[in-house]
Amino acid sequence: MSNPFLKAVELIFSFDKQLFDIIFLSVKVSGFALIIASVFGIPIAVFTAFKKFPLKSLFINIMNTFMGAPPVAVGLIFYLLLSRSGMLGFLGILYTPYAMILAQTFLAFPIIASLCHSAIVGVDPLLKQASITLGASPFTTAATIINEARYGIMSALIAASGRLFAEVGAILIVGGNIAGLTRVMTTAIALETDKGDFELAVALGIILILISFTINFSLNIIQKKGKKELI
Amino acid sequence: MKLTVSNIYKNYNNTTILNNLTYSFKSDSIYVIMGENGVGKSTFLRICALIENPDAGKIIYYKQDKALKNDIETRRRITLLLPKVGIFNTSVYKNAAYGLKVRGMGKNKIKETACEALDFVGLLHKKDQNALTLSSGETQRLGIARALAFKPEFIFLDEPTASVDYKNTKLIEGIIKKLKKTTGATIIMTTHEKEQAIRVGDKILIIEDTKIRSSIVTKDK
Amino acid sequence: MQKLYLLLTALLTLLMTVCAYAEENRILCASTTSAQNSGLFDYLLPEFEKDSGIKVDVVAVGTGAAIEIGKRGDADLILVHAKELELKAVEEGYFVDRRDVMYNDFVIIGEPNDPAEIKEAKTATEAFAKIAKKQTPFISRGDKSGAHTKELFIWKEAGITPAGNNWYMEAGQGMAKTQRIANEKQAYTLTDRGTWLAVKDNLNMSILFEGDPILFNQYGIMAVNPKKHKNAKYDKALVFINWIISEKGQKTIASFKDKNGNLLFTPNSK
Repeated sequence: MSNPFLKAVELIFSFDKQLFDIIFLSVKVSGFALIIASVFGIPIAVFTAFKKFPLKSLFINIMNTFMGAPPVAVGLIFYLLLSRSGMLGFLGILYTPYAMILAQTFLAFPIIASLCHSAIVGVDPLLKQASITLGASPFTTAATIINEARYGIMSALIAASGRLFAEVGAILIVGGNIAGLTRVMTTAIALETDKGDFELAVALGIILILISFTINFSLNIIQKKGKKELI
Repeated sequence: MKLTVSNIYKNYNNTTILNNLTYSFKSDSIYVIMGENGVGKSTFLRICALIENPDAGKIIYYKQDKALKNDIETRRRITLLLPKVGIFNTSVYKNAAYGLKVRGMGKNKIKETACEALDFVGLLHKKDQNALTLSSGETQRLGIARALAFKPEFIFLDEPTASVDYKNTKLIEGIIKKLKKTTGATIIMTTHEKEQAIRVGDKILIIEDTKIRSSIVTKDK
Repeated sequence: MQKLYLLLTALLTLLMTVCAYAEENRILCASTTSAQNSGLFDYLLPEFEKDSGIKVDVVAVGTGAAIEIGKRGDADLILVHAKELELKAVEEGYFVDRRDVMYNDFVIIGEPNDPAEIKEAKTATEAFAKIAKKQTPFISRGDKSGAHTKELFIWKEAGITPAGNNWYMEAGQGMAKTQRIANEKQAYTLTDRGTWLAVKDNLNMSILFEGDPILFNQYGIMAVNPKKHKNAKYDKALVFINWIISEKGQKTIASFKDKNGNLLFTPNSK
């Protein structure tokens, strides 16, 4: 048996089409999920941070709880919903990238909403005072506070993307791991390992680890940058 | 511009802090408010600066004897500096420019004015530095620069030298006096240092037992 | 701010376009891990696409799960190997146009030194009985797949209830993974020959029993009944069924060899 690691490196540097198609699909699915979750999650975080509304603390608690939702269970729920025999069956998107994006959006949303909310609420109240005493309108004051929470918000996005890229349970169930259509890095690694074809699995593993390291590395840097406030 | 507060009441946790307090501040003076800890100096300042509402009473600013509405326009003619300055996590320059930016000033004008204000407090050479890296004395001075950049007519300073060293205290006192001289603004500050009150103030007000008990004129105008 | 909007719009458009896929000319086939892991689909489907212009997407699960996916209407057709279950599902009206496609056989694999001495067994049931008697580890698919169904049938024929014994382990995994687990645990397992041939190079195992007629493994194909699920692409599914049982399709199956040159499936549509 030849060394799968060497062959994997060879695959990566020969820009193997199958390999990079899988990587791009991962980036597309998780990236899109991240964008949708942010588009909804950040405004909701802002809203919950600044406004009072009935059952607010319950809402925040629910978001916090869903942050740790097991992907497999989320996948199962979306499978049952999106199945032709399910409530959303008319959409006909089970076993397509759309279903994967939907499930991953659901996984990312509470992380983004909850962490962004904490980031905004965690901004030093002195800054709100400063903004008001310097003549800012309520809207500008809110914008200033959000801006001050920017590192926390970025951390939230990065944390969410880390979860999405590494996630296999939900996308496997709703995507079906179809070659060339819904096969992403994590599900491909699982399948190729089953088959004993380690080259592609190792190549994808290397890329996945690199991505996850990059994500965590930038998270670290951003969190350090945000901590300057405490010096 | 002048300020009249009349019949101010304020309660905190069932304790009356300010009781039927009335006073008029005239322009072009430095008022120093003194009093024991917890006597309501800061609360009074915050009420005057329109940051907090009194339980009863009126705060009215006059411009050429015309009463102004307590709206954002009036709020933008005054400012309050807290004992701990909240600094935005960005450059010294952008901090100084903040008040100008929210007033919709043009970019070039902002640059000129903000730099002028930073120069006034002796921080121009640090304008590109992240403001969170400043010392506490410099932070306090940046707070002043940020406030005076938009040329407020009333400046409230709550314990401006409470957390800074001797050298910076002197510097800040100098800045306050220079400020009055160059802009003609009314400055109302609190302190618990009698010497400082005498050094800086034109009038010293003492809050005692929920009221302004006495006012001492230190310098004749 | 304007730059941000521009960036966001650009990103969204990009993602929209790349995620869009031509839904029209695709069908979804739920099938078994044994067919996928052997590499058959990678060989067969490009040929079919060339002939018909229809792309077949494959979701590979166990036979039981594939039938379930079809029953729910989440696939257009299924290709599985558990004839009894298939005929029952057709009878219940979930599927139509069932055809035999091909066959291979099941084999019992294990550690080459054969601790339970099943090499000497005359029948598969006898082999299973020996394993049970010796209590050597046995890995079951445990996932209602075709292989699992076959395995349970053999246990039943042998009059043994293996479940609950600590030498009997249910993996709940696909065929290849189950072999891998058996390899690690030095256990016996029942596998289809196709997956075995495709994966055996990476395993330290060998075939210890084969050839009993009970181990015959028939693959069948059938379309989801359009009367049950009006979204099912019955017409296109039928094109695939007709192609795979045609001379061309059957020849293609017959010419499919694994990387070592072994024939994995024998076509037998009639």
